Amino acid sequence: MEDLKHAGFVLAGILVAFFVVMTMVAYTVLAERRVLGFIQGRLGPNRVGPGGFLQPLADLVKFIFKEDIVPDKSTRFVYFLAPVIATTAALMTIVVYPFGPEVHLPVLGTIRLVIARFDVALLYVLGITSVGVYGVALAGWSSNNKYSLMGGLRSAAQMISYELALGLALIGVILQSGTLDLYSIVEQQAGHLGITGWNIIWAQELGFLIYLISAIAETNRVPFDLPEAETELVAGFHTEYSAMKFALFFLAEYVNMFTVSMLATTLFLGGWNGPFVHQLPWLGVFYFLGKVILFLFLYIWLRGTLPRFRFDQLMSFGWKFLVPTAIINIVITATLQWSPVFDYVSKFLKTSTGWWG
Amino acid sequence: MTALLFILFAGLAIGCAISMVAQRNPLYGAISLIGVFISLACLYVMLAAPFIAAVQVIVYAGAIMVLVVFVIMLLNVEQEERSPTRLRSLIPIAVGLSAILFAEAAFIIFFVHTSPGTPTTNTSDIGLTSSIGAGLFTSYLLPFEITSLLLLMAIVGAMTLARRGGLLPPGAAVVPGDQVFSKELLDRREIGDLMPVTAHTTEEAERLLGVSREHHLSDDE
Repeated sequence: MEDLKHAGFVLAGILVAFFVVMTMVAYTVLAERRVLGFIQGRLGPNRVGPGGFLQPLADLVKFIFKEDIVPDKSTRFVYFLAPVIATTAALMTIVVYPFGPEVHLPVLGTIRLVIARFDVALLYVLGITSVGVYGVALAGWSSNNKYSLMGGLRSAAQMISYELALGLALIGVILQSGTLDLYSIVEQQAGHLGITGWNIIWAQELGFLIYLISAIAETNRVPFDLPEAETELVAGFHTEYSAMKFALFFLAEYVNMFTVSMLATTLFLGGWNGPFVHQLPWLGVFYFLGKVILFLFLYIWLRGTLPRFRFDQLMSFGWKFLVPTAIINIVITATLQWSPVFDYVSKFLKTSTGWWG
Repeated sequence: MTALLFILFAGLAIGCAISMVAQRNPLYGAISLIGVFISLACLYVMLAAPFIAAVQVIVYAGAIMVLVVFVIMLLNVEQEERSPTRLRSLIPIAVGLSAILFAEAAFIIFFVHTSPGTPTTNTSDIGLTSSIGAGLFTSYLLPFEITSLLLLMAIVGAMTLARRGGLLPPGAAVVPGDQVFSKELLDRREIGDLMPVTAHTTEEAERLLGVSREHHLSDDE
């Protein structure tokens, strides 16, 4: 009976999280087009519904009804498998993020707003992210197109290189919190006003910057979008994909953006912590999603302002700058941990019974 | 429920393993191997060892197999022709080895069924991150450090093998005309100084690079 109840909670949680994330992803696409329009001095899509509000729906219908063209000499099985891998890997990490603190529901009692809480949540995220590379790499290989192949190869090289810097940047946070469980990491970041306890304030500034840069590279976004550099590779790994299969890659890219933003929020910006969360637990959900939206806006802003890297610049930046800097960050964090000043400042900043916490 | 999941993942692992051996296309083989690794990770989770499961996915499925797929894609390996004669001599050995394997499995099953002790159903914390970390950095510190030294040696060895000799391939030749090339190509001791060096004649370029023009000319004919 208890098992059944638990399974029901998990299923309901997955459905709710899936719905929320999908809706936000759809509107991120719209927001991206509108904000880019604003940056470039034009309007962007504003015809479907008030202010273009129903544009995502129109896009979806368009994708479903488009002709699905499969290249003649493609490797069929892998060609169909690739978008499935990309989307599945992107969606699978959603379950581990804590969306909010403990809340009271009228009938169900007190529940934590996290779907799956387990010992190695952070490693799970890293593992699933690294499996996601296959979607892009196999898509490039199976299309039987030189541009696709180059895009796939570039993407595999880029994601392997930046995964290293990304993982090393997270070690600082792990050292500081002493756990891989995301819910505990968020709980430890409570402080005065719900803000002073954030890891970005004490003491992962460097780690946060490295994470942010490598996360953008991991999701193949501007200025690291070499796998689909349209001036060189037509559209890179998804050149030969059309209709719903292209839509799946598109979806995977935006869900990936969303999940790395959630990870950044959880690890560095205090997750659901914010002013008055202890009095009104439901506020936590809004703080969490608000912080994620800030990151998504940053992504769009970067796309509107930065030019693309050259491939050798990308590689030397990742291996010769980001990785050594991440190692320096680990040394700094370990040294700080060991000094008594760290404990003193931590006790002052990170307290669950702070002012308005 | 647990038994059902076990059958599912064990079946997936065995199926993917068979497919990995049977596939003719190397990329399909690699994909099957990824399937094996992921099914094994699921089995580790069921055995209350989440850390091993996560590391299995990150290291094997996520890093090593990506490199394998990368190399297969880069070389664009074609489907190999079947060569049955070469492998026929191995069939008796394979039969013998599999017989031993089945005998071992049968012995273990027989032993488990006849032994009086029942296995405890408590989940231990041996597979959790903290206990593995504590073990690695206390009781097993020396083996851990020796392993990391071994890996470092492998990396340094690979680097040395890859960079043996000059950066130019032995068959390199000079194209007639004005030449501009980086100092990096000329003397490896000066890597880091990437200013280009200009050679206005082919002879000068030959002398700087230490290669001959004859090779190139003979290629043209």
